[in-house]
Amino acid sequence: MEIDYRLERPLNLHARLRVEGLTALLGESGSGKTSLLRALAGLIRARGRPFGGLRPEQRRVGYLPQGYALVPHMTALENVALPLRGPGAGRTARRWLERVELDHLADRRPHELSGGERQRVALARALALEPRLLLLDEPTSALDAATRETTIDLIDRIVTEVGLPTLLVTHDRYVAARSRSLAVLEHGAVRQQGPPDEVFARPATLGIARLVGFANVFSGRVAGHEADGVWIETEGLRVFAPTGAPPPPGRTVHWGIRPEEVMIVRPDRPLSSPLARNRLAVVVRRLVKKGLAYAVRVEGALVLEVLLPRHVQDRLRLREGDRIEVALKPTYVHLFSSEGFSS
Amino acid sequence: MTEAFLLSFKLAALTSLTLLVLGVPLAYALVFKRVPARALVEAVFLMPLTLPPTVLGYYLLILLAPEGFLGRLGFDWAFRFEGIWLASVIFSLPFALTAYREAFQAVEPEVLEVSRTLGLGTLRRWRRVILPWIWPGLLSGTLLAFAHTLGEFGVVLMVGGNLPGETRVASIYIFDLVQALEFEQAARAALVFVALSFVMVLTVRTLEVRWRSITGSSAR
Repeated sequence: MEIDYRLERPLNLHARLRVEGLTALLGESGSGKTSLLRALAGLIRARGRPFGGLRPEQRRVGYLPQGYALVPHMTALENVALPLRGPGAGRTARRWLERVELDHLADRRPHELSGGERQRVALARALALEPRLLLLDEPTSALDAATRETTIDLIDRIVTEVGLPTLLVTHDRYVAARSRSLAVLEHGAVRQQGPPDEVFARPATLGIARLVGFANVFSGRVAGHEADGVWIETEGLRVFAPTGAPPPPGRTVHWGIRPEEVMIVRPDRPLSSPLARNRLAVVVRRLVKKGLAYAVRVEGALVLEVLLPRHVQDRLRLREGDRIEVALKPTYVHLFSSEGFSS
Repeated sequence: MTEAFLLSFKLAALTSLTLLVLGVPLAYALVFKRVPARALVEAVFLMPLTLPPTVLGYYLLILLAPEGFLGRLGFDWAFRFEGIWLASVIFSLPFALTAYREAFQAVEPEVLEVSRTLGLGTLRRWRRVILPWIWPGLLSGTLLAFAHTLGEFGVVLMVGGNLPGETRVASIYIFDLVQALEFEQAARAALVFVALSFVMVLTVRTLEVRWRSITGSSAR
């Protein structure tokens, strides 16, 4: 489904994106994600396609706000039956409850359900509408990590089975990574959309880079060309970046690498030739645990953030003050397109 | 005594019904609509709470007298049942309005929005979502107004005087008995009031507690 919406209130926004299967919309808080969803549901005034000018009652757009908005005096089953009419309503509602694996809680009222269960009731209710588009506002923000995983799995499975275009708004990049397509909202427009892997590896702008955890970004000058890329000089260091559209020599460009993709060179192992190019001697400045991994800051010609899996740290046993060598494998070096920085 | 109590009940019933009809739309507007100078509007409606009943009664008497502003428009209601009905409505409005407003405030706007996206039009939204949500509040507000009207004295006396069968309600009847030193009869009438008040307050509380257990809002 192609979406093209313009909002003037509460903020100026022009969003063009494609919703196919489970599509995530990532953006900072205040970027207008929720407003866009509300506009699509018909709850705030906006111009655009599809559904433009229709009242919420006429759109058949399922909308799940952050608080789930269940009717407190109705049981789970009654809530799911809310959009249904006619004699078969009860049976249909029960089928949807089964679909979200909650039929055993059909007679509970919302306050007798956990956050994750409420969420699933709200999901079943929106699905019972047989919507043309499903909108989910931060569906995992109030859930613990384990429930977050199962909830995303369930949402992904159901909307895929039903073949329902679903737009999921989030500021959580782990949730965003689970989508089929990822759109990023920045400065009032969708600046990039693509498979999550691509957006995570090749963010179009510095702002998007920050949103997707792309912590190492530098500026440098184009110092030389090769057939498959360019040499960039940054702080006296020459880094090779592959690119199909090399910028002219002397141009200032931005490049970067994800913390997960910076490699530590092991002195006991010889390097393959592409890795031999982008090497740099550094000192370990800071080492903190981050989940089961380690966030390491190293300093040499550049300051780099490195995310070290536990099994690597278990072998290397790095400590603050250690002198090591890191390699920036050219495949993982991302050259930002210059348009990303014009705005 | 029966005549006075029947009159009191008639007055209280008519007053609380009137308040239900007037107060519910008013409370809805105050909660969900943009009201210009909201604080001012609310202050006017809530003023009878703090105004001495005799003061309110005095102004109403002036207005409803045959030569008064309303009297000349045909509302010549001083010392008549209609007069004490109007006075009671104004005097009990703050009680009903406060309860109704609280009932509407409990309704989450987000739930109403989502029910629109689920295809519920205005009528179904009221019938299936709003009314089942607010009725305990409406009932307790109406009961409070009823009880408050039963017990009022000053305003009714000022506007209606003391005409048996027309304006002499039970509270004024008790006052009369005491003036006439007929304490035994006064005691009986007073006891009826105690029983009535107790039953009504108990009903209101029970309603509140039951409702909280259904919706899961924290009991106070």
